[in-house]
Amino acid sequence: MKKNEPNWLMVLRTVMPLGLSYIPIGLACGVLLHAAGFNHLLTALISVMVFSGGAQFLIASMLTINAPMTTIILMMFFLELRYALLGSSLSRYLKGQPLPFIFAFAFSMNDENYAVNYLKFATDKHWKPTQALLVEHYSLLFWTVSNIVGSLIGSALTINLSVVDFALTALFIYMAIMQTKSRLTILVCALSGVLTIFFLVLMKSTLGLVVSTLIASLTGYFIERQLLARKPESHLLYKIHDPTGQSAMEESDK
Amino acid sequence: MQSVSSMNSMDHFWLIIFCAIVAFIPRFFPLLFFTKRQIPEWFNEWMRFVPVSLFTALVVKSVFVDSKYNIMTSGNLGMIISSILVGVIAYRTRSMTLSVVVGLVSVMIFVLVLHI
Repeated sequence: MKKNEPNWLMVLRTVMPLGLSYIPIGLACGVLLHAAGFNHLLTALISVMVFSGGAQFLIASMLTINAPMTTIILMMFFLELRYALLGSSLSRYLKGQPLPFIFAFAFSMNDENYAVNYLKFATDKHWKPTQALLVEHYSLLFWTVSNIVGSLIGSALTINLSVVDFALTALFIYMAIMQTKSRLTILVCALSGVLTIFFLVLMKSTLGLVVSTLIASLTGYFIERQLLARKPESHLLYKIHDPTGQSAMEESDK
Repeated sequence: MQSVSSMNSMDHFWLIIFCAIVAFIPRFFPLLFFTKRQIPEWFNEWMRFVPVSLFTALVVKSVFVDSKYNIMTSGNLGMIISSILVGVIAYRTRSMTLSVVVGLVSVMIFVLVLHI
């Protein structure tokens, strides 16, 4: 790494892979929001204010099926609830920061820049909260511009939306794979999948997602606790091999 | 999915404001609370299973459950194959861009060209 590199450039280099990956997803999201009836200004506003790929895709697809506003907001609440977990895991690196900083940091935090910052905080002792906030703002810029361009493309071309919609599914598959650290996680995923179908069909509402998430995650937690206490050599606790060797770096700091 | 929304731009504006508030609450308060206090160990351990469960749930919903909450028995083969492909790409490359782009191209081929 170059020694005299200015801070803004160094942070930009850190955030670049994320920023570039936001372009296709942001474009897809902008196209969908346009189809849901958002004008370019509203698309820009939601990208800044909500700043969450999953949430914006969800709003777009719920608007196109004419879901009432209260349902959309309730669904949003449950979808965004996971940030409580992400936020609290970053909190130990943000101790002693003033309230306005925490406010600004929380406002622009999302899954992807959380992952970048978490990895940086865990592996780089010199990584500062102000740099982490800059990572968030760079990713926000990439995201918002991509969304606006997507919205402009959507108004100019006719695009098959069920195909664009799959960008969200691919995004969630990627995030699930990245979170799979042990064999037990695969078991939890399978359980979550089965429970999701069961509760969605049973409850006829997106609340089924929340119920299955809670049951699957708590089951994983209790199985892990039991295994660690009684059977630490269990095959379920084996780490998943990472072909690129990235997670080795992530774990080394613990 | 066509543009059939009955809301106007003002409704959309308020929707964005409410969604922003709802999105901000779970990002802000736990972060604020736990920068002042110690995170309980059980919470940390439980937390490791929450995102992966939710992401799986969302994927399963979009691939296997339709908008009327019935199990899809046909018409989703292209999505199933594409999902597996995305999973393999994500595991092999750890690249978000590549996963999403391969997923989009694959679904495009299956749905638009092969009609499965």
